[in-house]
Amino acid sequence: MAGKSGATPTTYSPSPTTQNKKRPPIFNDVDWVRSDARGFQQCRPAFLRTGAVNAASGSAYAEFGNTKVIVSVFGPRESKKAMMYSDVGRLNCNVSYTTFATPVRGQGSDNKEFSSILHKALEGAIILDSFPKTTVDVFALVLESGGSDLPVVISCASLALADAGIMMYDLVASVSVSCLGKNLVIDPISEEERYQDGSVMISCMPSRNEVTQLTVTGEWSTPKIHEAMELCLDACSKLGKIMRSCLKEATSALQE
Amino acid sequence: MITVEKIIREERFTGPSRSAPGLDREISALSFPAQSQGMVGLSFGEQHFIQGGIAQDLRSDGRKRLTYRPISIETGVIPQANGSARVKLGATDVIASVKAELGKPSPFQPDKGKVSIYVDCSPTAAPVFEGRGGDELSAELSTALQRCLLGGKSGTGAGIDLSSLSIVEGKICWDLYIDGLVVSSDGNLLDALGAAIKAALSNTGIPKVQVAASAPSDGQPEVDISDEEFLQFDTSGVPVIVTLTKVGRHYIVDATSEEESQMSSAISVSVNRQGRICGLTKRGGAGLDPSVILDMVSVTKHVSEQLMNKLDSEISAAEACEEES
Repeated sequence: MAGKSGATPTTYSPSPTTQNKKRPPIFNDVDWVRSDARGFQQCRPAFLRTGAVNAASGSAYAEFGNTKVIVSVFGPRESKKAMMYSDVGRLNCNVSYTTFATPVRGQGSDNKEFSSILHKALEGAIILDSFPKTTVDVFALVLESGGSDLPVVISCASLALADAGIMMYDLVASVSVSCLGKNLVIDPISEEERYQDGSVMISCMPSRNEVTQLTVTGEWSTPKIHEAMELCLDACSKLGKIMRSCLKEATSALQE
Repeated sequence: MITVEKIIREERFTGPSRSAPGLDREISALSFPAQSQGMVGLSFGEQHFIQGGIAQDLRSDGRKRLTYRPISIETGVIPQANGSARVKLGATDVIASVKAELGKPSPFQPDKGKVSIYVDCSPTAAPVFEGRGGDELSAELSTALQRCLLGGKSGTGAGIDLSSLSIVEGKICWDLYIDGLVVSSDGNLLDALGAAIKAALSNTGIPKVQVAASAPSDGQPEVDISDEEFLQFDTSGVPVIVTLTKVGRHYIVDATSEEESQMSSAISVSVNRQGRICGLTKRGGAGLDPSVILDMVSVTKHVSEQLMNKLDSEISAAEACEEES
């Protein structure tokens, strides 16, 4: 090793280019091509499957490009003794990241608020009156973070709830839009999210046309926010159809 | 398995739509009994009184739907902090403090300072905040404030100009710690905290820093912090937060905790002086129609103008009062 000093280093260190310091000028242009060659208003292809975990009452796996998520639902089971009597059911949500989900190890723990957003997104869709005195646990695990993690988690969780046979008013589909310069980009990947000027995330029940959760960051003018919401809602209704067909496939496969 | 038939059956069971006008009141009374029992404990009669009052644009304390409770602001309440303010909104009482410390900028944004916002719900405000009870609310308020004040990931649309906190690029910057404390809670905490932070920031003086010219290019440069000269923090871009609470078919601003117990959902919008939206959060589980949300956003924009002017005059009055004493 001593003789080879100056040659290839014996220890590998990740290249500093993974920590891009400046935003690439490309995002400021009006016209640019997304790194996965999608159009600005084109979502990543969605792969959805139910029944990913045998031990759970219901589970689902979702893969949107590089974002891979697994959600299992347990219950309804008896609420903890310490909890007060409640004549409506309780929902307990938890979102966690694997340590290898992000380029830098363990970075996923930055997203502490995801659990409460997931809870609020699903709460309005579940018929909590149908399981009094009991709790339903929703555990989501992000296997790989490739951008738009939270919308994927929410959509996947509602699919898992449906798979568990929990009564719901409708499936919850969720989509986010990033604002980069003058452009609105739907279903952003991690790189686009890192340089975004603002974002809108909507989760809605497509067939009831009801928004269960909505978060906006960054500075927006009213027409722009209208445009972003339209885009999200349109994508949500399409995603809802895909989720529905995934459930139908799973049941028809069971019957055969 | 949930099937299409099952969904349809459920729809029939629960009525045509939960957001159908007229049905709202019954459903909200039915689906949130646990909530209203929990913190506030209202009888059915009281619940109907509050809901009926809101429907007739005369709330139980005599306000109209879009009127705030009287606001009082006091600045410079905490001498150890660089800036502080106490905001009273009816019986809601919050304190915000701003502390600036020297730190190292993050490698992702070498030309910017850092700001962190935390909220603490003290058990003095309500017994439920004792121990870990306040954690959930604290976390919710902190994230909502961060979303409303710190803008997007690239820092655009932030109420606080992060690049003004940079001292030596990539080496030293100011870390701003904004802490909110809930002293007494009677609803609408988020708006009160937003106002308190705005007042505290305008009260904040950041010490002037002299950087030694002969600093080595790779080492940490030496700095000299002045004790006398302070730079006034620019708060012109700090937005105000307006929470619109939906009770029945109507929206109200500045809900008391009794009114909050009757809400189906609420949205908090932060609006800056240019009338642009800087952040939005939805609370409450019930779904909202997209057109209702857009309507609520336009109402908050209208309300925020008045609130912004009110806060400005209150803050300058408080500053003048502090200088006199």
